[in-house]
Amino acid sequence: MKSATTFSTWPAWLGLCGGLALAACQYLIYVYAPVESTMGVVQKIFYSHLPLAWWALVSGGVACVAGIAYLRTRSARWDHLAYAGAELAFVLSTLALMTGSIWARHSWGVWWTWDPRLTTALVLWFLYAGYLVLRHLDLPAPRRAVLGSVVGIVAFLDVPLVFFSARFWRSIHPAVFASEQGGLEPEMRLAAIASVLAFGLVWASLLVLRARAAALDARSATLAARVMDEA
Amino acid sequence: MLKAAWLIAKKDLCLVMARGGAWVQSLLLGLLLVFVFSLALPPGAQATAQTAATLFWLASAFCQVLAFNMLYALEDPTQARAGLRLAPVPVQAVWLGKTLCGLILLVAAQAVFFPALMVFLAQPLGPGWPVFLALLALADLGLAGLGSLLGALAPGQAARESLLSVIIFPVLVPLLLAGIRGGEAAFSTALPEGLTRWIGLAAAYDAVFLGAALLLFPFVFGDDR
Repeated sequence: MKSATTFSTWPAWLGLCGGLALAACQYLIYVYAPVESTMGVVQKIFYSHLPLAWWALVSGGVACVAGIAYLRTRSARWDHLAYAGAELAFVLSTLALMTGSIWARHSWGVWWTWDPRLTTALVLWFLYAGYLVLRHLDLPAPRRAVLGSVVGIVAFLDVPLVFFSARFWRSIHPAVFASEQGGLEPEMRLAAIASVLAFGLVWASLLVLRARAAALDARSATLAARVMDEA
Repeated sequence: MLKAAWLIAKKDLCLVMARGGAWVQSLLLGLLLVFVFSLALPPGAQATAQTAATLFWLASAFCQVLAFNMLYALEDPTQARAGLRLAPVPVQAVWLGKTLCGLILLVAAQAVFFPALMVFLAQPLGPGWPVFLALLALADLGLAGLGSLLGALAPGQAARESLLSVIIFPVLVPLLLAGIRGGEAAFSTALPEGLTRWIGLAAAYDAVFLGAALLLFPFVFGDDR
């Protein structure tokens, strides 16, 4: 297998395909899918919000699985992937919270409400913010990788429990794909699924590029330490 | 392993009681929280059962963070951490020992917080106290187990105190919500709905995180590579 620092153009191509697919999705979002009767054009933010929220959760899953793989193998490649996953989980959940807040203001009249999915996204944001703080502690790199893996695993294990606890507490979030509660029009559903898939390509490209940047960062730190030793 | 864990818990308890200061500090912080909140209420107004229960668990969570920071700092001055790591017992015994000691300290602090809430916030003891005790036991077990795992994250780091709070509070959200519902049961005249599913959730939380802590602790404590 090639080293993570070997230059390869396929993540860039993946990102380009994702960008083109997202551009094509705009046709589905603004022309094919109807304008929602109550919220009007503001509802279109949903087609960005949903992919952000779902891929934030998947990023957390990647950080967890890569963390387990790192603890088992001690291969730095897994640690770089876990770091990339956690960082993406943080960035995407930030964006999901922002878009969700705009939705909430128009739909429910408030910027924030304690709904299970919103609460889960916020807790996810706090968890990965804590993870990133840990990753910037002044610790030896292998120790930082071990602790990061442990926190990444604990954080992801917590997500379903947070969701259920918030659901027991109270819930007003719309059931997106639950047909018995109304759900989405078929055109809206197609546009939403296409947005999620197109964003998935961009996400995969970002994940690989970020993991590679982490590998290069580690390599430059090693080289810098070697130069210091020789000086 | 259980005997070793008990010995570690006893050692930590003796050290905490001998030095005293840090644990008393966490107790005072919890009491101050209750007292300052009671001052914020308008004269004659009574806090709801949910507010009182939330304060109880906030005070408990702060106490837990301080207690586990203190428990993992006990070995720092004499570098005794290496000795614990080299001891011929499973490294999980250290986790269990610290969990036991942390649990004892937490329950002792809660034994002070609970009557303080009843006095300062004029909370009656309702018919739901047995449910409260069940949820208290489950929540305390989770708080202690997770605190013991995450407390070992960054020994010797100046940022440890704030780091533990930043990481542990979001993870504790489900358990704190379950605990608050239990507290509501203790302070209300009528039982809140859905208490059995909160007991189920707290039990599931404990099962997941105590299991994860047993598996992950050797990486956190036994490995400084």
